[in-house]
Amino acid sequence: MDADLSRTPEEISRANQHDVKIKWRDGHESVYPARSLRLACACAACVHEFTGHTLINPTSVPEGVRPLNILPVGRYAIQITWSDGHATGIYAFDRLRVMCPCPVCKYSPPQVLPH
Amino acid sequence: MPDRVTEAAVLDALRKIEDPDLHRDIVSLGFIKDMKIDGGKVSFTIEMTTPACPVREKFQAEARAHVSQIPGVGSVDVRMTSQVRPSQSEIKNQLIPGVRNVVPVASGKGGVGKSTVSANLAVALAQMGARVGLMDADIYGPSIPMIMGVTEGPEIVDDRRIIPPAQNGVKIISMGFFLQEKEAVIWRGPMLIQMIRQFLGDVEWGDLDYLVVDLPPGTGDIQLSLCQTIPLTGAVIVSTPQDVALKVAQKAIALFQKLNCPVLGIIENMSHYVCRKCGERDDIFGSGGARRAAVDLDVPFLGDIPLATEIRTSADDGRPILLSDPDSPYAKAFLHAAENVAAQISIQNMSGAAPVKITF
Repeated sequence: MDADLSRTPEEISRANQHDVKIKWRDGHESVYPARSLRLACACAACVHEFTGHTLINPTSVPEGVRPLNILPVGRYAIQITWSDGHATGIYAFDRLRVMCPCPVCKYSPPQVLPH
Repeated sequence: MPDRVTEAAVLDALRKIEDPDLHRDIVSLGFIKDMKIDGGKVSFTIEMTTPACPVREKFQAEARAHVSQIPGVGSVDVRMTSQVRPSQSEIKNQLIPGVRNVVPVASGKGGVGKSTVSANLAVALAQMGARVGLMDADIYGPSIPMIMGVTEGPEIVDDRRIIPPAQNGVKIISMGFFLQEKEAVIWRGPMLIQMIRQFLGDVEWGDLDYLVVDLPPGTGDIQLSLCQTIPLTGAVIVSTPQDVALKVAQKAIALFQKLNCPVLGIIENMSHYVCRKCGERDDIFGSGGARRAAVDLDVPFLGDIPLATEIRTSADDGRPILLSDPDSPYAKAFLHAAENVAAQISIQNMSGAAPVKITF
């Protein structure tokens, strides 16, 4: 049972002052614009736990929101502390890979969607 | 003029020995240490990745045989040691810095003998020379103190640090130490998470090669918290052979896979019963089910433990079968399973995945 290299990060760092860069084990690099990553938060305060409806109001998130700190969660996810004070979201690696906004990934999305 | 023995020649000879689990030769795995060549006298140490290695003697004999064949070699001294490799953890493990491997023992269904298996695995690993801890995370029915025969509770120092009692060579912590016999734990999630953190961070585990964690049955708060709090080396799944247990065991496997915790394999408990009067074997729950499930799910099969009165009575008496009757086939079954668990841990830790770097 080998880990899927495309869903295992090798390095997580800053792309610039705002954006998050992930280098994956299969060599792919993803850059996540800060604000869209913040809006993609899947925590119970941002997404309804049963209906899956988005609860977060985009206008309440400052334009210049940026990550202050990133902590690993076990071996499957990261937790991001944002400059707007939000910190409850857990970003699973497999979901992050599916979310990769680069043109190649965007127009040929992977077959398996995250849960 | 006698042949001069070189280090390179000795290493070349040793390269012929392949680790059966890691599928690489023992030289490139870095097992060879402290080589000394003095004329025709060659000595070196083979450092294994676990004291629970089943091929220890075989390696030693092969190494001696291969090196003896080098021209000019008169005597060969092969020492065997072991150094358990730490889990390739993604986080610098600040909660339990001295613990090299955390191994949860889980099941889907309750009543499959998870605690008995956990206790005997821990004792087996300790008997083989590893430093072992056993954390009883089954807060609803903490049975490890009874199975291990712990009579003294932990000592609390500085109001916070918990010194775990050691029994049978294993350091033990359990919710059972903090409860009256008939008291029950009726907690919501956040309390459970807090307890897991305390059992990891506030207990003085010291340096351990393996911390075995006996989980409650199911796929709930405790399993999730454990996976989120620390990087786990890999989970051992215990199941009985019948379909209903295996179906639920699959859910436990799914939980670990979803949280990216490797599954070290499945142990089949209560695999069959041998009648004490007539010696006839009875497959009470069917047999070989876990072995087939392991193949289906593409996870290793770690061993089968028979259903035996002796295992049950030894657990009830607080003397695991490995201590009360070490020569019995039951003790050997546990020992064999423990060797396989240790081997799978070595495979996980040597498989090369370096930790994820977070530079932020």
